[in-house]
Amino acid sequence: MAYGTVNTDIVSDSSGGRLAPISSVFRNRIINGGCVIDQRNAGASVTITNTSNTTYTLDRWGAYGSQASKFSVQQNAGSATPPVGYSKYLGVTSLSAYSVLTADYFNLLQYIEGYNIADLGWGTANAKTVTLSFQVYSSLTGTFGGSLSNASNYSYPFTYTISSANTWTTISVTIAGPTSGTWATDNSRGIQLSFGLGSGATGYAGTAGSWSANYYLTATGTVSVVGTNGATFYITGVQLEVGSSATGYEYRQYTTEMQLCQRYYEKSYDTNVVAGTASSLGEFFATGTSDSGGNCYASIRFAVLKRAQATMTGYKGDGTGTGSWQYERSGSSGSFASNFDAVGYGGFRCYTNNGSAGFTATVIYGHWTASAEL
Amino acid sequence: MYQLKNTLDGGQVILRVADYANIPFDEANTDYQAFKKDLANGVELQDANGTAMTASEITAFLATLK
Repeated sequence: MAYGTVNTDIVSDSSGGRLAPISSVFRNRIINGGCVIDQRNAGASVTITNTSNTTYTLDRWGAYGSQASKFSVQQNAGSATPPVGYSKYLGVTSLSAYSVLTADYFNLLQYIEGYNIADLGWGTANAKTVTLSFQVYSSLTGTFGGSLSNASNYSYPFTYTISSANTWTTISVTIAGPTSGTWATDNSRGIQLSFGLGSGATGYAGTAGSWSANYYLTATGTVSVVGTNGATFYITGVQLEVGSSATGYEYRQYTTEMQLCQRYYEKSYDTNVVAGTASSLGEFFATGTSDSGGNCYASIRFAVLKRAQATMTGYKGDGTGTGSWQYERSGSSGSFASNFDAVGYGGFRCYTNNGSAGFTATVIYGHWTASAEL
Repeated sequence: MYQLKNTLDGGQVILRVADYANIPFDEANTDYQAFKKDLANGVELQDANGTAMTASEITAFLATLK
């Protein structure tokens, strides 16, 4: 073997754990796979009620149900002991015993940005094989399903088995990359990873183990979590990487994981404070003189560049209102609709329009959230 | 329900009334994508004065969007 060559693709530590070579740092294409970041809900439970669009739960993790209020999502739901080496998990709890209709589907998902999968060559003859691995725990046993798909019309349903209830199980699924289909390599949805929680016989469930030109979100004949009242489905350590075998979960430092999440969602509040809560910590204050039109501005930079122009929402720091900020000046104070403009990838402007010239020495303050989810 | 809002920079944003979210006119923004889908499905849109737009006005408005 030539000097400087390592003739192996797996390096093991003394306890048998697989170590990835240094060159594969950031090999995990999943963000927040360890479920440690929960900016929106700070550990609170969210019932999935929106049947039109994805509801974001823990950072980067979305959930969808074609029927409202059939399950909830919460970081460390049920207070199970996480698997060894992890402190957090994403917990799904079924809220009823719902019999799925033919066109129903319920799932947990993560959209991976096209920029982060561009090297996979999917949709070409050089498509790379990937391996999905995760830790899963459920009150149910049997064959569960999920899929990898593009944004709308090409997918690979897969299955995995949980043999022991309420026991963390390590799952690994290797998938040969698709040589067909359209796979975005820009800031739009590249790959969608879906974990099925219940699906009808047609529509969004397909035969496991092969690619097809369909938008399947799970495999047919798999366990319906929403079908059993109180059923639980917990997951963590989710990793999607290039290669035909799973390597150890790639732990990233908390700050790095947070910054990866903030490309898609950021807030002015402290990490453990839910937007809309009364809190002055992190609240933005600006002091200045309004312009001739009575407008007072505040320009704010994001901590991390956003994937797209973000949806902005303002909050009063005293917790009494969404969609507004507050102002003060000599002899007067109040609130105003939080107006946002000049929203770019790097920052935005918030302003009050008091409509009176010479509205001097105005202080404006409030909290904000920015969402640029996929 | 949505409402158009004029902004100081001469543009507009879309106010999602249910949660006061300000949605930019950016094709890459998924809330904007949902806004267009909602309008096509008959969800109400108010102009910047707070007047509900008619179906034909919404159709014309959608036609101006890419």
